[in-house]
Amino acid sequence: MSFSWKPYVLTLLVLLILFPFVYLVLLSLASEWRFPQVLPAYFGLRNWQALFISETGLLSSFLISVLISLSVATVSTLSGFLISRTVSYHPRKQMLTLLTYFPYILAPVVFAACLSFFFLKLGLFGKATGVIIAQFMIAFPYALIFFSSFWGQRTQRFEELVATLGGTSVQSFLRVLLPMAKGMLLICFFQTFLISWFEYGLTSVIGVGKVQTLTIKVFLFIKEANFYYGALSCCLLIFPPVLLLYLNKRYVFNKLV
Amino acid sequence: MNSKQSYIGLIFFILIGVLPFASAFIYALLYSFGIVGIVNDGFTTRFWAEVFASGEFFKSFAYSAVIAAVSVVISVSLALWLTLKFRKEFDQKFLSFIIYLPLAVPGVVAGFFTFQLLAKAGFFARLAYQLGWITEARQFPDFVNDQYALGIILTFITVVAPFFVLLFLNVYKNERVQELEELSYSLGANPRQVLWRVSLPVILNKTWTLIALYFIFLLGAYEVPLILGQESPQMLSVLIIREIKQYDLSKVSEGYVVAVIYTLLVSLAAVLLFSRQNRTAHEL
Repeated sequence: MSFSWKPYVLTLLVLLILFPFVYLVLLSLASEWRFPQVLPAYFGLRNWQALFISETGLLSSFLISVLISLSVATVSTLSGFLISRTVSYHPRKQMLTLLTYFPYILAPVVFAACLSFFFLKLGLFGKATGVIIAQFMIAFPYALIFFSSFWGQRTQRFEELVATLGGTSVQSFLRVLLPMAKGMLLICFFQTFLISWFEYGLTSVIGVGKVQTLTIKVFLFIKEANFYYGALSCCLLIFPPVLLLYLNKRYVFNKLV
Repeated sequence: MNSKQSYIGLIFFILIGVLPFASAFIYALLYSFGIVGIVNDGFTTRFWAEVFASGEFFKSFAYSAVIAAVSVVISVSLALWLTLKFRKEFDQKFLSFIIYLPLAVPGVVAGFFTFQLLAKAGFFARLAYQLGWITEARQFPDFVNDQYALGIILTFITVVAPFFVLLFLNVYKNERVQELEELSYSLGANPRQVLWRVSLPVILNKTWTLIALYFIFLLGAYEVPLILGQESPQMLSVLIIREIKQYDLSKVSEGYVVAVIYTLLVSLAAVLLFSRQNRTAHEL
């Protein structure tokens, strides 16, 4: 019988993938964990109880992050879907698509630093609305690029068929295009939600520390050397996407390529 | 399509997709030439000359490019190896979910986690102490905030490689690489020829645009080098924000010079990448 090393490598791979999740949960439950102790002196729910103390502001950060990400994902998905139709059917489609890639490819934090003057003039600096608008500006190009593959010849034929059968453009949109794009809309919503949920640099520049999303909190706790609350913030950051991944796994990559 | 709808769509596209980028670039350009800005008093090329004379931008650009290139090459190689060796195993119910989990970890968390593991008082230093390999925390090797950016590269690999595994697995299925491999074997090719002349070319040909795109994303990465990077040289985004947000207002324009050069470079990369991709978009 030949020796197979594959199960060992796979076990190691699974352990490596799970290790950050387990370690961050353990660190969030720990306290007084000083060098050179391998295990913490305290182990319990004390840090998690701090979630509900207004001083840490973690619960409000979680809620503001959810609110910002849901807003960004909803607006980007819908506007991206609608406007990608114009771009895809436009005679200068190539040039318009290329223009879409510029903000998409630029580092969000640099984009925000160059835009901050306008946000200041518009009174959006340090406000959740400003952060939502700024994040929308980087999530929108993603949505636009994402939906460009939907508006091909096949979709156009369906639209023409509806028109031939006497359907209006509203009926065509509501009864044909939206149901056809349901899966892609869901994937795009999920992806743009994650773009917003994971965003740090742009949020820190436009939010100027006043809009404290969870990613901002992680950095604040790192600066304060409060690694236990930092780990707690990390747990709040990674477990909602894990849940979403579990629910949406089969949609995420199937249509990427 | 209704021309009125088309015009409205186009106006919104310009307002949301084009105007912010154009405004940001023009503002940075004007600032870099001293035309706008609190302490600036008119057109000058002084800030550009200072940036080119100091050489910090070039050092930072080279540093960022090397880090991004090493991370992408290692991530792609690792992902290719995992895809080609374990594609059947990754179809199992448990593993097919597990391999998606790293996508739930953002850069800021990955950076924080690496810091917790590899810092001088981190988890691995504690293990090394318990094993008797070190007697003080400072004896533990520099893996974070170090000159070779080992912590940054390791973190980039852990963030990027899982994405490439999923991408390559998908391409492997969609491009029916397995059937091509079987055909090659039946025509007398050996495993080495099948790997180098069939599997790898097909997968890489379909994904090279995304690989290049990830190189550009890593070039402009911010959170991870902010946590794990050193004071000098710094990665591009960290350098740009440090210069623009500094207290010495007379130096802010130099930050905008770097921002303009960086924006021009990535825009050029976008033109080179996607003017070709547009031709092959439907093949992808």
